[in-house]
Amino acid sequence: MKSKKYNPPQLALRFFRWYSNPRLQYYIEGDLMEVYERRIKKSGKLMADIRFSVDVLLLCRPGIIGSKQNNYSSNHIDMFRNNFKIALRNLWKNKPSTVINVLGLTTGITACLLIALFIQHELSFDQFQSKGSRIARVVMEYGFEGSTETNKGTFTSTKVAPVLSRTFPEVEKGVRMTDADMILRLNNEPVTEPNFMFSDSSFFDTFDFEMLEGDAETALDGKYKIVLTETAAQKYFGNESAVGKILEVGAAKTPYEVTGVMRDYPKNSQLKFDFLASFSSMGQNQEETYFNANYTTYLLLSNEFAFAPLKEKLDPFMEKEMKGTGATIRFHLEAFRDVHLQSPYRAFVSNTSMSYLYLLGGVALLIIIIVCSTYVNLSTAKSIERAKEVGVRKVSGAARTQLFWQFIGEAFVVCCLSVVVSFSAASLLLPYFNTFVDRSFQLTDLFTPTFLLITFLITIAISLAAGSYPAIILSGMQPARILKGLFKNSSSAKQLQHSLVVFQFAITVFLIVCTIIIRNQLSYIQNKSLGYDRNHVLSLNIGWDMDYNKLKTIKQELKKNPLIIEVSRAANSPVNIYSGYSMRLPSMPENEVISVNANPIDEGFLKTNGLQLIAGRDFSEQDLEAANREGENKEFSYIINERTAKTFGWTPEEAIGRQLVLNSPGEIRGVIKDFHFQSIYNDLKPIVLFTAPWGGNLLLVKTSGGDIPATIAYIETVWKELVPNRPFEYSFLDDTYASMYKTETQLGNVMSLFSATAIILACLGLFGLSSYMMQQRMKEIGIRKVLGATLMNLIGILSGNFIILVIIAIVIASPLAYLLMKSWLSEFAYHTGIAWWIFAVAGVVIISITIITVSIHGFRAMAENPVRSLRSE
Amino acid sequence: MKNYQLGEFEEIVLLTVGILNNEAYSVAIKDEIESRLKRTVSMGALHTALIRLEDKGYLKSFSGESTEDRAGRPRRYFEITALGKKAMLYAKETREQLWKAIPKAVLEVSLQKLAVSSHQ
Repeated sequence: MKSKKYNPPQLALRFFRWYSNPRLQYYIEGDLMEVYERRIKKSGKLMADIRFSVDVLLLCRPGIIGSKQNNYSSNHIDMFRNNFKIALRNLWKNKPSTVINVLGLTTGITACLLIALFIQHELSFDQFQSKGSRIARVVMEYGFEGSTETNKGTFTSTKVAPVLSRTFPEVEKGVRMTDADMILRLNNEPVTEPNFMFSDSSFFDTFDFEMLEGDAETALDGKYKIVLTETAAQKYFGNESAVGKILEVGAAKTPYEVTGVMRDYPKNSQLKFDFLASFSSMGQNQEETYFNANYTTYLLLSNEFAFAPLKEKLDPFMEKEMKGTGATIRFHLEAFRDVHLQSPYRAFVSNTSMSYLYLLGGVALLIIIIVCSTYVNLSTAKSIERAKEVGVRKVSGAARTQLFWQFIGEAFVVCCLSVVVSFSAASLLLPYFNTFVDRSFQLTDLFTPTFLLITFLITIAISLAAGSYPAIILSGMQPARILKGLFKNSSSAKQLQHSLVVFQFAITVFLIVCTIIIRNQLSYIQNKSLGYDRNHVLSLNIGWDMDYNKLKTIKQELKKNPLIIEVSRAANSPVNIYSGYSMRLPSMPENEVISVNANPIDEGFLKTNGLQLIAGRDFSEQDLEAANREGENKEFSYIINERTAKTFGWTPEEAIGRQLVLNSPGEIRGVIKDFHFQSIYNDLKPIVLFTAPWGGNLLLVKTSGGDIPATIAYIETVWKELVPNRPFEYSFLDDTYASMYKTETQLGNVMSLFSATAIILACLGLFGLSSYMMQQRMKEIGIRKVLGATLMNLIGILSGNFIILVIIAIVIASPLAYLLMKSWLSEFAYHTGIAWWIFAVAGVVIISITIITVSIHGFRAMAENPVRSLRSE
Repeated sequence: MKNYQLGEFEEIVLLTVGILNNEAYSVAIKDEIESRLKRTVSMGALHTALIRLEDKGYLKSFSGESTEDRAGRPRRYFEITALGKKAMLYAKETREQLWKAIPKAVLEVSLQKLAVSSHQ
């Protein structure tokens, strides 16, 4: 019997037990106790406690410290083989829980693999460039004197690169680039090539490349030189050598000489091109102005620390350069490698925001947590069945660590099984995933060393996360109690099970609420009245060089078809107007200007796009012809929106007939209702629509919507006849609009998919857990049945527990989801509210799923004859 | 001749085990050393010494009865082995040889000095 009078400091005693060699532990402990008791009698408990602790500390020395493993030497290989066999047998024996675990883990791991693939791809952007840390992208910020507003973007003029590389020693090279859709001729048919780039020859000094044919030194020197990628060369010249051949570029069929073929550029690059033409081909190699900024400039700096010093010198330099021009320009430098994930500005390849990656990573983590919780729940529920095994193993001399690793190993086996299945699932799902996230991953991307390493780490992490709690519980069981049959699931295990169920369902509720809100917002955007009609409007690229009179013929020819209501030429469709202009009244001083968005249009624009005129009149053909005249007789006309009128303090009626200066003076003919001409993140803004002789490159065709294929066929015949030098390629305006919200749509899809996954996984977990609980309560159910309980009674009793847990989950998750979604919605200038019914829906869905899941077992238990469950003893 | 490794504290412990004869277990050894030599012995030092002596084969141990005053933990008794006895004798003899080798004068002077310093 243990005497109660010895109470040495528990902490010290536990510390001693932890480090001491088990062979010596009891003897030394006995010594400590003996001395301790003597000291209590002699100098009181406090002194004895202190000296006890001191003794323990002094005992902590080599010779006394000893690990448990040193006691025996076991055959690890044999044990491993045995454990492995036992693990497989166990998995085979408990098929339902194995299936649930493997299914859950597979779903979870597949989701994680795909997300990891995406994240890894995005993070790897531009990292392969060996000089990447020294490359800067130039951002231009400009404003006009008298206005505090400035515009910022990656547009720069042709002057920037030569001036900067000449003036500052920090700048080694400057590269000017621009991308364009170019019409090339393939087998004498015009084809639009979307990945056509113009670049300075310094491209080869700045960026990495691999030349297959031709000489990089001279490839882009001089006008009309072009380098192709392997794919492009293959497409245009087949297997023949492309160098020295001629490509006809543009509507004017300018001959370009092919001077080189290079290896296809990597997909994870912000530079995407199939054709690289010399910059001087555009004939804009001058250094006259900082405006006319349509090009992107990259600078190769002398070293990676030159960013800050160069920026410091740039500001005073530009101040001097712009003196007396009435405008201010400042240049900022962006680190090349940060562009893809962190830049708010346009790049050649559309950027991904870092927060999107965090979101995806977060979702992956949540899924893994759900899956691990399921595993933990099922294994702890099963632990009663494994208890006997643990007892026998312990009696036969198994150490706790051995058992611990055995159970971790079991989790690892399940995990590996799931990873193997996941890999095949991921490869099957890859094409769908590609369309989903708009990337082009290949099967081989799944088997790169980095990716396999990531997978391996995920596997280890999951095995540890899922396996360690059951392993601790099982390995900590006391053999004597188990073998006597006194063993029951501990209350702490039950609490853990409950909290994990709450946790799983909280995540699920959270995801459901977020998904509903995101979907709501998306449909709100898609269906919001934007002030214009984008249905059944086709847009075609007609080129900037289309002659006004020829255009008139095309329009007339198209309008002959009754299915075509109106045709208009403009620079931009109403979906997206970003072109910046400055305007002022004739009465205002010349350097006092207001920046405004503007769009050159013709007389059909308002009708084509269903814009509503509220005062004045639409443009007439005379207005357009007046703007097309030469010299003195040239007359411009304007149509403004309500906001513009308000800017000058006019009512719509007052604005008619007023003079306005937008580059050139002209008269306001009409006022239209405000409409959303930019993304819905932005508020309504002022806009000026004006007549312009150079019109624009978009032909917008409003159709009645009846028999679309016939309409398109008709447009094509007209096009082939009148615009033979341009390919017939069209898009619908509402598609263009939808593509503006691609990120949001993606987000909506991804969230829907993963919350569905989460719901399924959480249900699987609940299903497994309730089945085990049911098995343990078989007797109770039998007795209840004998006493006359009905099916509804039983289901009520069985699901009651879970319902409480689920309600707690809803209470926890709702405010979190509310806060997060509120901040997301506030990014939009126009957004839906968060209605209470969203939470109600999520709650009802979850509770009904819970009841259904539990009821399945309820029915089974009900159908069974109570005699069978009661007779078993 | 075999080299018997025996540290100063180890020698004391070995001797004390001999003194206690069949009653030598850790706390008793500690008490004995403390009372005879008027020095405190830490449990850690003592146990390390005992383990080392056992490893060298000078001591052997056997488990004793468990008692109430040790909260049920058994005592561990130590006994000097034949090898241990040889080691003790060897240590004693080498000391004596060294003593004998010291010239008488040296000892007297140092004793005188001791006496002088103790008078001051």
